[in-house]
Amino acid sequence: MRLRKGMTALAAASLLLVAAAGCGSNGNNDSGNASPSGSAPASGASPSGSAGSSAEAPAQKLDPVTLKIVIPGDRPPDMDAVIKEAEDRMKDTINVKLDVVFVPFSDLAQKTQVMLASGEDVDLIFDAPWLHMNQMVSAGYYEPLEDLIAKYGQDAVKVRSQEMFDANTFQGKVYAMPMANSHLAGRTYLVRKDLREKYGLPPIQTYDDLIKFAYKVKENDKDVIPLLAYGQGAQTDVTWGSFRAFMEYDPQFLESDALGQSLVLYYKNNDGKVYNLFDEMEPKIWSWIEDARKLYTDGLIDPDVLAIKDVDSVINSGKVAVAVHNEYGVPSALQSALAQNVPGAELEPVTFVKMEPGANISNFKQANFLAIPKVSKNKERAMMFLNWTAQKDNYDLLAYGIEGKDYEKIGDDKYKPIGTGYPAFGYAWVWNPTMERINADYDDDTVAHYKFTQDAANLTPSILTGFSFDPTPVTNEITLYNTVADKYYNSIFDGVVDPDATWAKFKKEAEGNVKKIQIELQRQIDEFLASKK
Amino acid sequence: MAMVREIVRNRYLYALALPGLLFLVVFAYVPMAGHLIAFKKYRLADGLWGSKWAGFDNFKFFFMSSDWYKVTLNTILLNGLFIVCGLCIALALAIFLNEVHSRLYQKIAQSFIFLPYFISWLVVSMMVFAFLNTTDGIVNRMLQSNGLEARNWYLMPGIWPAVLTVIYVWKFAGYYSIIFLAAITGISGEYYESARIDGATRFQQIIHITIPLIRNVLIVLGLLGVGRIFYGDFGMIYGIVGDTAPLYPTTDVIDTYSYRALRQLGDFSKSSAVVLYQSVMGLVTIVLFNAVARKIDKDSSLF
Repeated sequence: MRLRKGMTALAAASLLLVAAAGCGSNGNNDSGNASPSGSAPASGASPSGSAGSSAEAPAQKLDPVTLKIVIPGDRPPDMDAVIKEAEDRMKDTINVKLDVVFVPFSDLAQKTQVMLASGEDVDLIFDAPWLHMNQMVSAGYYEPLEDLIAKYGQDAVKVRSQEMFDANTFQGKVYAMPMANSHLAGRTYLVRKDLREKYGLPPIQTYDDLIKFAYKVKENDKDVIPLLAYGQGAQTDVTWGSFRAFMEYDPQFLESDALGQSLVLYYKNNDGKVYNLFDEMEPKIWSWIEDARKLYTDGLIDPDVLAIKDVDSVINSGKVAVAVHNEYGVPSALQSALAQNVPGAELEPVTFVKMEPGANISNFKQANFLAIPKVSKNKERAMMFLNWTAQKDNYDLLAYGIEGKDYEKIGDDKYKPIGTGYPAFGYAWVWNPTMERINADYDDDTVAHYKFTQDAANLTPSILTGFSFDPTPVTNEITLYNTVADKYYNSIFDGVVDPDATWAKFKKEAEGNVKKIQIELQRQIDEFLASKK
Repeated sequence: MAMVREIVRNRYLYALALPGLLFLVVFAYVPMAGHLIAFKKYRLADGLWGSKWAGFDNFKFFFMSSDWYKVTLNTILLNGLFIVCGLCIALALAIFLNEVHSRLYQKIAQSFIFLPYFISWLVVSMMVFAFLNTTDGIVNRMLQSNGLEARNWYLMPGIWPAVLTVIYVWKFAGYYSIIFLAAITGISGEYYESARIDGATRFQQIIHITIPLIRNVLIVLGLLGVGRIFYGDFGMIYGIVGDTAPLYPTTDVIDTYSYRALRQLGDFSKSSAVVLYQSVMGLVTIVLFNAVARKIDKDSSLF
C-alpha cells in the first residue's frame, strides 16, 4: 500500500513537471542579454550609427551560416532557383544560406506562436500588429534591434524612411524591420471597364458617378451584381459604408488604436481626441450607413454580401461590376482570371484618394514586419541579410524572382511579371518603398498613386505617430465588444439590416464597454502626448 | 500490494494495454494540468508557474456577456440534433445495407454513402453556398422555375439547424453505418434461421433480433457523442457558417463564439477558461446520461 501511494505521488509529480516544462520551456531565455554574442566577426561595420555611414559587406570571409526564415504564404515553384542564386551571390560576403519556411495564412497565428513559445531555432520571423506582434513583444520573444541596426543595418534603414521606424516602435523600441512599399495603404474600387464602355459612360470621377454606373448595371445586365464589399469577420473596414472613410477629407476619419478596424471609436482633425459614435453619431458616418442601406434595398449590393467568404472568386467569375479593394491598381491575377472566365471583360481601378501633398493624415503604422527572435544564434547575420536585401539587385531577385524567367525589368522602377513561377510576395520579407517596382500593367493613375505614397513627405503626420495602445487593462471589455460588434457591425455597414433599429441594439449592448475602452485609450493618448512635449 | 500482484499475474495482458494507456496519459491526462492556465494571467515568456494567478477573472468575458447561455443552448441543441439524427439514420442505413442481397450492389452503395466523410468542410461550405446563395443558387433557381419567389437563405437563421443537420447526416451517416454494419455482421445467423422457421417476416426479424442485439453499440456511440455535446464541431460550423452574422442566433456555438471573441487577442488563459467550462459541463452530462443508460440496461452503460 505504501509503495502504491509513493508511486502515485511520483507519477503525479512527473505529470505536473512535464506539463510545466511543456508550457514554459522558454521561460529563462528573456534575460537582459541583448548584446551581440560575437559569433560572427563584425568587420566593416560602422559603430557610429548615424544614417550617413553605409554598412558595407564585410571584407573578410565569414563562416557559412544557415538562416531559418519563417514567412506567410505558399512556397512558389521557383523558390529553390531564387534561393540558389541568392546564396551564390552572398557566398563571398555575408555567406548566408537560406532555409525559408512558408506557413499558410490560415495557420499563421498559431504556428508562429508555438514556434516562439517552444523556443524553436528561428532567425527571422514574420509578425504584425494584426497577428500577435504586441503580445509577442510584451512576452519578450523578440530582440530589440537598435544596436544591430546601427552596426549592420544602415542600408536597410536608408531605403525606408525615418518616420517608418519612429512610428513603428513597440513599447518604445524598434523590435522589427517594417516591410512596406508605401506610407499609406491604397484603397480602390475595382470597376468593370467593359461594362462602363458598353453603356457609353465616361471614366468614373466621383462616388456619384460610381453609383450611377451601378444603377445602369442593374437596369441592363440582370446577371451581374452591381456592388460587392466584404461582410465576413473582422475585416470591418472593407464593408461598403465603412470603406468610404478612406476617401473622405472633410474631416478625415481615422480608426482608433483600440478596436481594430471599427469606426465606433475614431479620430478626426488630428486633435488627439478619441471620438465615440455611441456618444454622438457623426452625421457623415450615418449618411454612409443610410446610403449603404438604400443601395442594399435597391438590390445593388449583393444580397449575400454577409455570406461570401471569397470575394476574389466572385470577382473572377465576372458576376460583379464594382468591388472594394485594399490596394491601388488591379492585381494581375484578378485581371487575367476574369478575362479567362468572361472574354472581353476588364477591370479598371477607381480611387478617390487625393494626391495633394498634406491632404492625407498618416500615423505611418505598417502592416508587415520581420523580427529577430531572442533565441536566434545568428542575430548579426540575420541583420546583415536584411541589409543585403536593401541592395537593388538583391531586392529584385528576392521580390520578383529570376530576371527574364519570372519578371522583366522595365526601367528603374517598373517590372512586368512573367508566368506564375514566382508571384510577388515581397511584403513578407523584403519590401521597402525605395526599391519596390510597380507592376508595368498598372495604369498611369495607379502608378501616380503608388509614387505619391512612397514619399513620406507627401503625408501629414498624425500627432499620434509612434503611439501604441496597451490593451491589457481592458481586455475583457475588448473581447465583449468584439462579440457584440460581430453580430451587428458588418450588417449595418453593408446595409443588410434596418439601420435605426439595429444601431439601437448595437448601442445598448456595446455602449458600456466601449466607454471604458475609450476612457482608457484617451488616458494612454494623453500620457503619450504629454511625454512628447 | 494487491495491485502489484495483480499486475504481475496478468503482465502480458497489461503489456498489451500499455500503448493505449500511454496514449491516454500523454494526450488526455497530462494536458489536464493545462487547465491551471484558466486561473492564471498566462504569459508565454513567464511559463506556467511564473504567471500570476488571476482567480476567476478569465471566465468573466464569457459569463459577463448576454450571449453565453444562448450559445450554450445552441451547442446542446445542434449537437443533440446531430447525435439523434446521425445515429438513427446510420442505423437505418446499416440495416438496409445488411438486407441487400447483391454483394456488388451492397459494396457500391456502401462506398457512395461513405464518400462524403472524406470531403473537407471547406469544400462542403462551397457546395452549400452553391446550393443556397440568393442570386444563382440551385435551390433558388428551382424555386423560380416553379414560379415561386427566390429567398435569401443566408438571412434566415430559422432554417439553419435543419440545414446543418442534413449536412452532418450526409457526411457522417456512412461512417457510423459501417460500425453498425460490423456489429450486425457479428450477430449469429442461427437467430435468424430459427426466427425464419417460426415464420418471422424480414421486418419482424429486424425489430426483434437485429435492433435489440446492436442496442449496446447504439448506446455506447450515443454516450460518446453526449460526452462531447458541449464542443461544437468548430471545423464544420465555422467552415459553413463562417462569420455570417445574421445566422448567429441559431448557429453560434461555444467554440465559434469564443473564437471570434478572442481571435484578435490570442489570449491562452481566456480560451482555457472556456475549454474548462466545456469540459466540466461535458463531464456532468456524461455522468448523468450514463446513469440513465444504466437504469435502462445495466450492461450497456460506459462505466
